[in-house]
Amino acid sequence: MSFIARISQRSPWLYRINAGSCNGCDVELATTACIPRYDVERLGCQYCGSPKHADIVLITGPLTLRVKDKVLRLYEEIPDPKVTVAVGICPISGGVFRNSYAVAGAIDRYLPVDVNVPGCPPRPQAIIEGIAKAIDVWRERL
Amino acid sequence: MNMLMLLLRNLARGPSTDAFPFGDTFTPERLRGRIRFDPELCTGCRMCAHVCAGDAIHFDETDEGLRFTLWHNTCTFCGLCEHYCQTKAIHLTDDWHLAHLQQDKYAMIEQGVVAPAACAECGGRMTAPVPALTAMAYRASNRRIEHLQTLCPDCRRKAGVKGGRS
Repeated sequence: MSFIARISQRSPWLYRINAGSCNGCDVELATTACIPRYDVERLGCQYCGSPKHADIVLITGPLTLRVKDKVLRLYEEIPDPKVTVAVGICPISGGVFRNSYAVAGAIDRYLPVDVNVPGCPPRPQAIIEGIAKAIDVWRERL
Repeated sequence: MNMLMLLLRNLARGPSTDAFPFGDTFTPERLRGRIRFDPELCTGCRMCAHVCAGDAIHFDETDEGLRFTLWHNTCTFCGLCEHYCQTKAIHLTDDWHLAHLQQDKYAMIEQGVVAPAACAECGGRMTAPVPALTAMAYRASNRRIEHLQTLCPDCRRKAGVKGGRS
């Protein structure tokens, strides 16, 4: 294993895509990152602002038709290998917005998802648990 | 001086970061998590499926009986099903460990089959009322009420017309 692969195992960077979320899950994501009580950086993770730096993608929201193309384009920009985490029930199944005319529905129809974190919204500890699972998947991929 | 006291107090308290996932965490007492269904208590009224905001609950008739299926991946954990369940067959536990890999997506269900009963009169298939339901409907039970419970809706109607002489 190359030196870079070995050290990058310890510090996957997170990137957050809001696919039309109500902001509930985004607040919980901000909580897991910014509040010392939950501190996701203990796992070596850090939020980054550019999709080109991301390793683990956290997607929230039911993928509304308005953002669908933008989300897919953004997803393409993230370099491989990447791990996708669906946070909240909306990206997993459409949740309460399922069958709406404005919603494209479950995100795994359009892009490969690796870990699901159900909840409306999931509590910060559940998100950390999901990220821990995503890191395991990511280590296998490297 | 106040600030120094505060600093000292914070030092003595240690880190406030939750130990999870490397250690234990707290779970609020009334947290609404994974749902448990008890088929013994279900009377098949389907009110839970009616009030379900995320359309997570489905009932279907199978050979073994009335089957209850709940998919946690579209459940909002609002607790309406538990609130409206008259016989307390649905319970939201405080288990929040629901994060799972994609291959388990459709395995995140809670299922239970309500065993059918045979009508004492015609022998037809029916979902029997549970004791909790009759305890709510009647102040006290008697032999007639107990007899009516063993009948299917059709036979119960006939027994009602006969005025208890069945």
